[in-house]
Amino acid sequence: MAPSVERSFTAASTLEEAMAARRQGAAVLAGGTWMMRDPRRGVDLPEAVVALHRIPALSKVEIEPDHVVIGAAVTHAVLGRALHGAVGFEGLVAAAENAANPGIRKVATVGGNLCALDFAAADLAPALLVCEAAVELETFEGPKLLGISDFLKDRHALLAEAIVTRIHLRRDLVASAHIRLPLRKAGDYPVAIVSLAVDKDKRCRIAVGSVEPVARRWTALEQAMRAGPAYALDPERTAELALEHNDFQGRGGKEAEGWYRRQVLPPLVKRGVAALLKTGGLA
Amino acid sequence: MTVTFQLNGEDCRFDGDPMTPLVDILRQERFLTGTKAVCREGFCGACTVHVDDEAVPSCLKPVGLVQGCAVTTIEGLSFGSQALHPLQANFEAVDAVQCGMCFPGMVMSLSAFVRDNPHASRPEIKAAMAGNICRCTGYERIVDAVADCLDQARKAGQLVGGIHV
Repeated sequence: MAPSVERSFTAASTLEEAMAARRQGAAVLAGGTWMMRDPRRGVDLPEAVVALHRIPALSKVEIEPDHVVIGAAVTHAVLGRALHGAVGFEGLVAAAENAANPGIRKVATVGGNLCALDFAAADLAPALLVCEAAVELETFEGPKLLGISDFLKDRHALLAEAIVTRIHLRRDLVASAHIRLPLRKAGDYPVAIVSLAVDKDKRCRIAVGSVEPVARRWTALEQAMRAGPAYALDPERTAELALEHNDFQGRGGKEAEGWYRRQVLPPLVKRGVAALLKTGGLA
Repeated sequence: MTVTFQLNGEDCRFDGDPMTPLVDILRQERFLTGTKAVCREGFCGACTVHVDDEAVPSCLKPVGLVQGCAVTTIEGLSFGSQALHPLQANFEAVDAVQCGMCFPGMVMSLSAFVRDNPHASRPEIKAAMAGNICRCTGYERIVDAVADCLDQARKAGQLVGGIHV
């Protein structure tokens, strides 16, 4: 056990209390599954932390006919259960139910997954990208809502003065899927992740995680699919387009080299489209 | 900082760094060495305990987060004078235990699983074990034992969800 350390630990029961601690420099502690491994990465644990698990509003999933609001402190396990069977969220449910392992999923939170800056293999990031989620932040200047793509791009700067509080989703998807390629069943991070969704206008959205340092939409492929003369979801054809429009720069890492992460994308897209076609909304 | 919680049914108080991993307090302060600290990354499952009835890795649980919670370790699953948990009894009956390193974590993960999933299929049992690594690779016998346990409970007309944990 480490020698006794004087550390400030606030279990906030309100957002105001959490923001007050944040203004004093406290780091946000969610489930702890990322931060608690800081020492193994050669990083000291923060001297001051503020935990969010006691703030009731951040631990709820609100499901309305036209939208869903997910509290940042909701765990993967709770998210998967809450959205199970909800049309259009099959991909997000798969992401929540297959990330890491059962023990981690009971602890790791939605907010933690999106805010771990160096975690390229976050399953929820691509799944939420294809939902075109909006991220609600509480900043030192007040609440702020921004699209998840912008949040992921700018989160390093944003999180210096903010706490992620909620994720907002419209219910405008008819089907979605989430395909991940781990090297084993569990215990490692996926080499690549492809999330796909089809909205009510039959437009396909595709996002990729774990291949580059930050998950992003595959806009080149989405545009190529829309530009086709007879746009229809076909696994083989989409995989061919994925090969042609593969604009990813694979990151290196202990699980896989960058070229491999990039190379597996077309077959994962093919699997993803096949999975999409089997979901209730498109079958 | 002082953290208080229930540990195997008894009051427990910890004075010190609230970011101390729960596993270290269990093993080094409470001498509950059934909980193993192996990978310390949440990958191997050997440190699994129940926190408010959920099976979670204690290596990644800062003790500050268990304030007011009920923690159960393998030692608290069935005390010496009590009958073994049905899952433990089944593991013993089919001789599923090999080196024993992973087993406390296996039992803690799977006892919560059988409680919550009395009709689990074999693939569901395997999925529930995905976070518990057995270096002896004795998985099939473990799956057999869990399936037998659920089967016996069903035949006895007992709700496996009623298994005490």
